[in-house]
Amino acid sequence: MPETAVLAESLTYRIGDAVLVSNVHFDAGPGALIAVIGPNGAGKSTLLDLLAGNLRPSEGRVLLNGIDTGTALPGDLALARSMLTQRSPVEIPFTAAQVVAMGRFPYRRDDTNTSERDAAAVAEAMERTDTTQFAARIYATLSGGERTRVSLARVFAQDTPIVLLDEPTTALDVAHEERIMRESVQLSRRQRAVIVVLHDLNAAAVHADQIVLMSQGAVVARGRPREVLQETILSDVYAQKMVVVDHPFRDCPLVLTADG
Amino acid sequence: MTDSSELVASADPYASRRRWFIPAVALGLLAAAWAALSLGAVAVPAGEVLGVLAAKVGVDAFEDPSQQAEAVVWGIRMPRLLLAFAVGATLGLVGGVLQGLLRNNLADPHLLGIGPGAAIGAAIGSAAGGVQGAIAGGVAAGVITAFAVRLLSKRASIDPTMIILSGVALAAVLSAWVGFIVFAADRSTVPPIEFWLLGSLTGSTWRALGTAFAFLFITSIIMLSSAHLLDVMGLGEADARHLGIDVDLVLTVLLIAAGAAVGATVGAVGVIAFVGLLVPFVVRRVTGPSHRSLLFGALASGALFVAAADLVARLLIQPVEIPVGLVTAAVGGPVFLWLLTRRRDA
Repeated sequence: MPETAVLAESLTYRIGDAVLVSNVHFDAGPGALIAVIGPNGAGKSTLLDLLAGNLRPSEGRVLLNGIDTGTALPGDLALARSMLTQRSPVEIPFTAAQVVAMGRFPYRRDDTNTSERDAAAVAEAMERTDTTQFAARIYATLSGGERTRVSLARVFAQDTPIVLLDEPTTALDVAHEERIMRESVQLSRRQRAVIVVLHDLNAAAVHADQIVLMSQGAVVARGRPREVLQETILSDVYAQKMVVVDHPFRDCPLVLTADG
Repeated sequence: MTDSSELVASADPYASRRRWFIPAVALGLLAAAWAALSLGAVAVPAGEVLGVLAAKVGVDAFEDPSQQAEAVVWGIRMPRLLLAFAVGATLGLVGGVLQGLLRNNLADPHLLGIGPGAAIGAAIGSAAGGVQGAIAGGVAAGVITAFAVRLLSKRASIDPTMIILSGVALAAVLSAWVGFIVFAADRSTVPPIEFWLLGSLTGSTWRALGTAFAFLFITSIIMLSSAHLLDVMGLGEADARHLGIDVDLVLTVLLIAAGAAVGATVGAVGVIAFVGLLVPFVVRRVTGPSHRSLLFGALASGALFVAAADLVARLLIQPVEIPVGLVTAAVGGPVFLWLLTRRRDA
């Protein structure tokens, strides 16, 4: 496995005159969880779509484990990266277990893959996302947070070296947010490059190895949580007075909003 | 993990329903075949029907059939029955594919305008080269209209019901053009307007069956082999891409196949509406959403539905034959309305 799983060079994405992502350099190696944070409209989801190969950059290129997303076949991309979007339709008529099993679709032509491996991957993914009890439920009848967890199980079942998650915890209750973040960290420890767009700064503070802070299409700060989550930087980027203190129980910063 | 392999299978709520579905449809097809070959203005008893069929495959197990029985059963009713099966199977299959592709249970090849569009090409082709010309013209025009639908569906992708409503409008305009062509054409070579817009199996020939079947066989293989892809595309375009599906390529190939298949049926028997809507709708309640069982089920059930509808068309007010599309529309129209209102409520 190459040192760098994800490598994006001078990435720019424009629609007409609007620059959504501006000259971004981005790299991620296996074994780390990187959180991408920033205010609404900062370009976080666009960056993730560019990394996934969903959008073609106006300038620059993206290499996933050495393959160029601009020229790669869809099937090869699907073996390199998986992605959780916020765009899944709700009216999917399949059961949760069937949806998760679709995560194994990229392996259908892989001779070394077996149905036992598919079944084991599906079962493990549902276990990790706490969705085993929904196996026989129709996806469309699940609540928003339950659907997110089932979709996440599908992403885990795809079992790719690069995992891109766009706001996986937004619809979740605190207990499941904590669980999903821990499972995402566990995933990265199994030599995956995990890149997560997050709105919850404290979830990023607790769980991320590295934080990338975006504003107006550009990366304005990158580093360990203590390096990026600083009062002056955050107050400036979010246009909101912020206070950063030490977390009382955990070895990480705690971000709070403040008056003024 | 001993029970992990059963996680997906055990969670399929439709497994038990599927078990009785196959024998039921098979029995229905046999009954329809017997009725279609035996009943009519000249009644041929089942024994004599078997005698004709046995003689054709070189078995001498039954008493020799009369010449009249052979002419009626083999010369007239058999090609008609097989064409009804082939057309019905195709329309059911195409309906299942389009509904999966557009993720809309209201998608029907004729409501979307593909049928009437194909009828324009078929009517022109018919003036030039009889039934074979009609089928070739229908295939070409069917493919073109399928692409028009794709452009419409891209623009209207925000609201799936818009695709259907614009398809209905498109169908009306195209049907009018079929009328203009038919009335301008030589009446002795081009079948009348009711043939094209209401469909009819009257006068089915082995030649029409052979020509249509060549197209229907190839396109059906393509559509049936897309079942797994259609399942995954049910997750939406974005997630289908993430799982390695070239969504644009799949759309293009399946729309060509669907357009060509519908075009071949229209060239052979005219537009038979509502089969592609009704059949997958009913079959889905038995097989569930998984396209492998849905598409095969729609194939078999579509064959049964059109063969049965043609029996009604042929036998209801003897000796007059009514267009088979009237029968399918009488059953399918109310179901369409119900689906449309239910969708709006949701």
